[in-house]
Amino acid sequence: MTTSTLFGSTTARLRDRRVNLDHRATTSRAVRSSLVSLAGLIGGPVTNQAGAEVGRLADVVARLYGPDPYPPVTGLILRIGRRRAFLPADAIGRLEAGHVRLRASRVDLRDFQRRPGEVLLARDVLDHQLVDVDGVQVTRAADLYLAPLVGRVVLVGVDVSLPTLLRRLGPRRWQVRPTPERVLDWQAVAPFGEQATEGPAEVRLRASRSALHRLRPADLADILEDLGRSERQQLLGWLEPEQAADALEEMEPAELENLLREARPEHAARLVDEMEPDEAADALRDLHPRERETLLDRMPREEAAELRGLLAHREGTAGGAMTTRLVTVRLEQTVAEVRAELAAQAEHRTEIDAVVVLDPAGRLVADLPLFDLAVAEDSTPVTDLVAWLAQFGPPVTLSPDTRLAKAADRLVAARKSSLLVVDEDDRPLGRILADDIIDALLPERGRLHFRRFLQ
Amino acid sequence: MVAGPGLVAANAGNDAAGIATYASAGSQYAYGTLFFMVLVTIALVMVQEMAVRLGAHTGKGLGALIREQFSLRLTALAVGCLLLANTGLVVSEFAGIGAAFELLGVPKWAVVPPAAVLLWALVLFGSYRWAERIFLVMSLAFFSYPIAMVLGHPHWGEVGRNLAVPHLQPSSDFVLLAVALIGTTVSPYMQFYAAAGVVDRGAKPEDYKLIRADAVLGAVFACVISLTIIIATASAIGGTGPLQSAAEAARALEPVAGPGAELLFAFGLLGASALAGAVVPLSASYAIGEAAGVERSVSRRFRDAPLFLGVFTAQMALGAIVALTPVDVIRLLIGTQVLQGLISPIVLVYLLVLTNRRSLLGAAANGPRYRIAATAVVVGVALMSTVLLGQTVLGWFGLA
Repeated sequence: MTTSTLFGSTTARLRDRRVNLDHRATTSRAVRSSLVSLAGLIGGPVTNQAGAEVGRLADVVARLYGPDPYPPVTGLILRIGRRRAFLPADAIGRLEAGHVRLRASRVDLRDFQRRPGEVLLARDVLDHQLVDVDGVQVTRAADLYLAPLVGRVVLVGVDVSLPTLLRRLGPRRWQVRPTPERVLDWQAVAPFGEQATEGPAEVRLRASRSALHRLRPADLADILEDLGRSERQQLLGWLEPEQAADALEEMEPAELENLLREARPEHAARLVDEMEPDEAADALRDLHPRERETLLDRMPREEAAELRGLLAHREGTAGGAMTTRLVTVRLEQTVAEVRAELAAQAEHRTEIDAVVVLDPAGRLVADLPLFDLAVAEDSTPVTDLVAWLAQFGPPVTLSPDTRLAKAADRLVAARKSSLLVVDEDDRPLGRILADDIIDALLPERGRLHFRRFLQ
Repeated sequence: MVAGPGLVAANAGNDAAGIATYASAGSQYAYGTLFFMVLVTIALVMVQEMAVRLGAHTGKGLGALIREQFSLRLTALAVGCLLLANTGLVVSEFAGIGAAFELLGVPKWAVVPPAAVLLWALVLFGSYRWAERIFLVMSLAFFSYPIAMVLGHPHWGEVGRNLAVPHLQPSSDFVLLAVALIGTTVSPYMQFYAAAGVVDRGAKPEDYKLIRADAVLGAVFACVISLTIIIATASAIGGTGPLQSAAEAARALEPVAGPGAELLFAFGLLGASALAGAVVPLSASYAIGEAAGVERSVSRRFRDAPLFLGVFTAQMALGAIVALTPVDVIRLLIGTQVLQGLISPIVLVYLLVLTNRRSLLGAAANGPRYRIAATAVVVGVALMSTVLLGQTVLGWFGLA
């Protein structure tokens, strides 16, 4: 009996599977038949209503940067003999695989002039780099799929599969047939139109752009590393400086150096300014002194002075790796006030794990861990906390020229997540966090690119 | 390494196959090929300069530029040529590893498969950087050729005359060797490598002067080393006909190392072959990955970067297998260079078209005079290759 149940369920499963497959096949056939391959269209005939060939299709113009979720085709570029002419989209009658049929028998040709937000799909997008926002990677467009919608034609997706590339290498018969293998919805793609003029303000609202804004800094850093020079500057331009700065902090030092050198100095200075001071100092340290000065000169005076101070410390010492982001309080303040202070610094949450207590002369009294602040009553004065903390001994400090290996030993011995760096007069200069020490001590790992062979 | 990408790229040409070709030129024609090498040097300087100019001004590798600027079919042709030439080169690198061990009395079938697996694993599992330095140091053994050249007391007058006075021999063997010399000096992968290196360093158009100096110096330096190998072998075993074995090539080092010449040669050959055995297939995988727009990093898993790692692995496997077949190693090495010589004009045409394009390079595009000179170089290289191809085909029918 068990056997027959098993058998029964197996056949049922097989039947379900077949139904499922059939269903998928029909949907994909339906999708397939409505999609038109751009690569297959290019070079194909454009005929008028009477069926006479007007010319050959050279390119398709679409408004990439605009309010529409899917870019509408705004016109065709035709090759007629040696001449190239523009045909507005309203003349398109039907779009078939490898063939454009026009609406009228007489066509109105004009000279092409690029309007804001328009790109030439074959020249600017096909075969060029784009960011796959869902898959979080940089890829190249192997084919673009157009679909006729009521009254107009829109760009719906990008094919990034290898079989599609191979199909395009084949005879024309294969080329025109769409092969939707790995198609990315246009909404999940951030394309770079090299020549396209930036559209109106709503460009920033486009789905792919807002998806970009949701990416994790480390993913964004990977994408930035893989992009070509102009593409990567475009992408940086789309991001908010704070988000871009977070991504830059995650980049490989060599890549970051390249990126800063390529960017316009004003933009690079803005990005460095947004980075956490210790990361910014690391990045600047790798640059040529002249380039470093160019950037520092373009930054707000206060930040530039702070970075100059950090840069004075040598790499591999506590001073070179510390962050100058310190939250300082006085003995007479209450825990509630300290919490308010911390709340104001929320954007630097990864850089802060303790609060520095200073005496009126600015000298270090205690280093209050966040845990102790978290469990204390709002009304408790800081001085009480400090008195209680004194039983564990004075705060562990380092001088800025302590070697990082030694700093690591001190950190391990102190069993803390960060140590304060102080000058000879016991005035805090900055804080060295456990993650800075890990970064400095771990050997470079992974991502053994081809470039390593060249260094 | 303090050397720039231009220097590294050009000197990567002095690998196992390169040494074999130069040594063979010396043994077969003594000083007869020197003038031709001067021409090849000029060609190399121009070609490398164009490659780094493209990299510095566009910030893109050659594979990416070809995909963006040419049709997909032409891209496939370029990449296919590179792949073919490089696979040939990988074969010769493994043959070089085998030959190095045979000099020490170890049969190649015992060495080549483990060496292939080891190199493959080193690159994929990340500790290659460390190994690379060892290989580099080992290949420094070939820098004893300049010393061997001086100690070998060549006829300096003859050398000078052959360097300065134009002469070419119309024999088919000479054309074969000449094409091999072009192929080993102006290897297709070197242009991809140099452009990628410039891009990886984030060189900007403003840095171009420095980049160009590096490329030109690198090319000249590589060719000077090649010349010293030819002269050293010419004075040691010049005129004895084609090179028979690696042991014979090692004899040119006798003035330096005495009876240890074979050991020194084996040491250098092993280092150079192992170094190029990893770099050459990687450069092709990188160019293909770049052109196809897929993931390309050796730290990815196979599932994430199937094309990149697949191409790399396939080249390694094919290289090792072919190198194991019972072929005449020296002839195989030179044969590979002939293949490269046949393919390099195709890659050079792409390079020339790209550097001519004002839409791509703007003011940095080739000027009218440079354009003529570069075209002459490409046509010259292509002509040599075509003559060779013609001769080979006629040879099949017993007509040449």
